Amino acid sequence: MAFLTDSLLSACLLIGSLDPELIFIIYVSLKVSFLSTFIAGLVGVPAGFFIAFKEFRCKRILITLLNTLLALPTVVVGLFVYAFLSRKGIFGTFDLLYTQKAIIIGQAILIIPIVTTFTFSAISRIDDRYRKTALTLGANAIQAAGIVFREARFGIVASMILAFGRVIAEVGISMMLGGNVKGFTRTMTTAMALEYDKGEFVLAVALGIVLLAASFAMNIVFNYFQGKTRE
Amino acid sequence: MTAVLYEIKTLRKVYDGRAVLDLESLRLERGKIIGLLGPNGAGKTTLLEILAFLLRPTSGRVWFQGEEADFAGSGIMHLRRKVVLVQQKPILFTTTVLKNLAFPLKIRKIQEKSRSAVIQELLDLVGMREFTNAPAHKLSGGETQRIAIARALACFPEVILLDEPTSNLDMEHQITIERIIHNVNVAKGISVIFTTHNMMQASRLADETLFLFEGRLARSVHENIFTGIIETDSEGATYCLLQNGLKLAVKSEKTGPVRVSIDPGGLKIEETGEAFRPDHTFRGKLIQVAEEHGRVRATVDVGVPLSVLIPKESFRGLHVTLGEEVWLTCPPDSIQVL
Repeated sequence: MAFLTDSLLSACLLIGSLDPELIFIIYVSLKVSFLSTFIAGLVGVPAGFFIAFKEFRCKRILITLLNTLLALPTVVVGLFVYAFLSRKGIFGTFDLLYTQKAIIIGQAILIIPIVTTFTFSAISRIDDRYRKTALTLGANAIQAAGIVFREARFGIVASMILAFGRVIAEVGISMMLGGNVKGFTRTMTTAMALEYDKGEFVLAVALGIVLLAASFAMNIVFNYFQGKTRE
Repeated sequence: MTAVLYEIKTLRKVYDGRAVLDLESLRLERGKIIGLLGPNGAGKTTLLEILAFLLRPTSGRVWFQGEEADFAGSGIMHLRRKVVLVQQKPILFTTTVLKNLAFPLKIRKIQEKSRSAVIQELLDLVGMREFTNAPAHKLSGGETQRIAIARALACFPEVILLDEPTSNLDMEHQITIERIIHNVNVAKGISVIFTTHNMMQASRLADETLFLFEGRLARSVHENIFTGIIETDSEGATYCLLQNGLKLAVKSEKTGPVRVSIDPGGLKIEETGEAFRPDHTFRGKLIQVAEEHGRVRATVDVGVPLSVLIPKESFRGLHVTLGEEVWLTCPPDSIQVL
């Protein structure tokens, strides 16, 4: 146990000293996670709206498929995207493998089902009379969708927070597509895995603390929005 | 400008193979308060949603002030903006009263400066000025209804459609809403079409009343509607057995499950059971009395509440008061099998 307490103490000192390596790892982690969540929002929120409002064939199958994808293992996404981005893959010429962009693409694929499904369920919970009320008050289809979005906003924001929480803590995609390149694609989770392998726990524990703090902050925000939804 | 507001020809709305609305032809005049009377499931809400251009009919044609509505086309938007529907249990957006009223003004691109004057005027009209900054979703049912009407008026409509505007409201709010509806029509010249299943409200408020029953226009309203089963006993007499066990003698060729309507004008109230006929006469309690167009509308509870219409003189001659036991005669001629 002594190694843990010693590491904990050293880790706190490391965080306190604002070690540049540590800061850069945190920066990369937050940057790729924010960007992948942003992309997932751009795709997932309209997709959730589309599924909620449109009647089409195979709608139920699509919903079941999305629900299945909620439990998508990160290594499967990593492997799948790797097949496209590696030199032999169809997007190999773009030289994306082992870049932050590759991590962002993989993470976005991982959480698009989460944002889509939770947006869909947030919108489905909104009474159809909101849409009808907006229409009879003179709104066009887009303005009416805006009203529904407004009513579902807390649920949609909560889905984004959930998605962010998933990507900031994942390791499979970051490792397989980012490659844990120091100063480029090293994220909090991949750095922790490496430090563990090396048997050096100080940086790993420091990163663990930061990750937990980030997760805690996310949960506070998430609970705040959930509370708002129930009001 | 034509005085015809709506014209409807062979309008049908079918859900799952069942026609919930089936109107041969209908003309509604402008500037009036029109009451649509009918029981639950008569198609009142469906008709209002079609008249609000929110729902596409399965077949048939609708003209609004001489212009034919193309429900599938983009032009429907321009017709929809002339009409506004206040739904039964209306929905207010989860924000302040002020922002709810500002929504129709905003989408009509009315300048922010002129908005607040319109909003204040409308809130005064419904007597809700002090609620301007209140959170809309925390209002009571009656207050919500008033704000919903004010918000509908912020659309500057030519017609306001109200779906059961006073159902689930207490008497005080009912009177307030009825006064508002009357003012909207008289002071603002807006045509009003409202649905209700309350006969008395329709006769109090409407210039014209239409009766809707099972999706069709009826000549008069069917009242005292019950579900029952028609059976023939060993002596060949035909009865309708209602769900609560009441057995009514009927004249009908039909058998099995039916819906029956008992004409309130055909029922008789007596103080004593002298002319007692077991299959016609029932003992009950007088639970409600009201005046209606020179007649008396009484409600007698014989296990089910039955509405009875009798001339004032006959009622005076009865010497009964509320809560007393009376005898109710229900002749087979007064029962119609639907």
